[in-house]
Amino acid sequence: MSTINCTEFLHHIDEWIEGQEVPGARDHSRACADCRGLAEDLGTIRLAAVTLPEADPDPSPRIWTALRTQLEQEGLIRSVAPTRLPHRAGWFASIFSFVPRPALAAAYVGALVIAGVVLSGPVHMPTDQDRWRERTQRTSAELNAQLEAAEETAMASLTNFSPDLTADLRRNLSIVDNDIALCEKSVQESPESEIARDYLYNAYQQKADLLAQISERGEGR
Amino acid sequence: MSTTRVSSLFSKSKAAILVSGLLGLTAVPVWARHIEKHFKVDAHPIVTIHNPNGIITIKAWTKQEVLVMSDQTSDAIEVEADQANNRVDITTHAISDTASPADMRADYQVNVPEDADLQIHDDSGAVNVANVLGAMNVETIAAGVGMADTAGYTTVSTVNGSFQCLRCAGRIEVRSISGNIRLEDLRSSDVLAQTSTGNIVFNGQYLPNGSYRLKDYSGVVEVRFSPADSFDLSATSLKGKVNNEAKLEPSHHGFLPRVGNSLVGALNAGRARVEVTSFNGTINILKRN
Repeated sequence: MSTINCTEFLHHIDEWIEGQEVPGARDHSRACADCRGLAEDLGTIRLAAVTLPEADPDPSPRIWTALRTQLEQEGLIRSVAPTRLPHRAGWFASIFSFVPRPALAAAYVGALVIAGVVLSGPVHMPTDQDRWRERTQRTSAELNAQLEAAEETAMASLTNFSPDLTADLRRNLSIVDNDIALCEKSVQESPESEIARDYLYNAYQQKADLLAQISERGEGR
Repeated sequence: MSTTRVSSLFSKSKAAILVSGLLGLTAVPVWARHIEKHFKVDAHPIVTIHNPNGIITIKAWTKQEVLVMSDQTSDAIEVEADQANNRVDITTHAISDTASPADMRADYQVNVPEDADLQIHDDSGAVNVANVLGAMNVETIAAGVGMADTAGYTTVSTVNGSFQCLRCAGRIEVRSISGNIRLEDLRSSDVLAQTSTGNIVFNGQYLPNGSYRLKDYSGVVEVRFSPADSFDLSATSLKGKVNNEAKLEPSHHGFLPRVGNSLVGALNAGRARVEVTSFNGTINILKRN
């Protein structure tokens, strides 16, 4: 019998596939085929990520580590979280290394879900397009709900910007929303298209990043 | 360790108003306050700038010190430049609850050692960096970003600000939503450029084993090449066009994706890897003039 629901499982899926003990996760994984499949796919990607040679050379993390060290020395921060996550900070966190902002937290879980769908193509190939379509619809709905919550927070911060910047930010939010709509349509039409799913995934990331930026910069004013 | 010179330029301000009035140049800002600070630093200093609005100009020089010069238009804001160990932090912030967005403008000219690492936030205005060889992270909303003769690992993020890089080296990652991206005479072996509705122009060297990834949603991506260049090309526009002037040979590594309009092939030995993707925009692979 499952002791946690799908949403709770997805909240902890990162720890779960890293091998950490998550109360109720094992039972839920046994009971829910969808969550089990997603966890398996993500686990496979994780394994591939650590076993494959790194395609890109390591970026210079000096600027981030130096900043962090100094801030810690001065007592300005206590957390070990870097200003910007270095490569290999965590297999999934590194995918999102360029959006480590507070407002992203809400979108993170949703993004995790879509990432599972988008990235798991070559690993967990469905038998027909309907399965892709259904899975994409479900995960897109989940992600959109997460982003809606982040958008509410961001909209409250918009008043702190100048009218020009507010207009710029609204216009760009519309651009990203339009991209998402176009990509969703494209994925619905060709659910097996990796490039369409990649663009959809990327558009979601852009929106999460933009909302995070609005919240963060708005609060700082 | 720093030295400071603060001067209230009221007489200059009055003169500026007078001149502006005479010339009818109402757009010329009238500076209320000018600050100049010097900081002695060691090797690889870090310089951070957080500014809501204004023009930031950063140049490398041969001195082992950071010079910060700022001009602000309003007394409702304060410019702070402080040193903590080998880091110099520069911030603009409101000191009055009534400070309007227009009051938040401060312009900076900052001279730094060549090996300085930079972290810059500037929402609107412009950011210009020249000759700095350290790592750089620039984030803006509407501010355009211009770089010339830089060489560090560079990450740039804008919302609708443009990005232009001239003779830049080092790894470059630039992301924007509606800003244009122009990479001219680049000498980098690792480039990632992405925008949604903006355009991308890549007109740089293709270094052996280099990786050049350009991604757009609906803008135009233009890739310039010379006949002697050597790269493996993959160009795909899911719903747009791909125009090509390169005489490509069958690629050693790639395969032809069966989606949208695709082009895969090698120019000469295919030493670098060029990957261009668009959702519904146009990709142009063009010979250099």
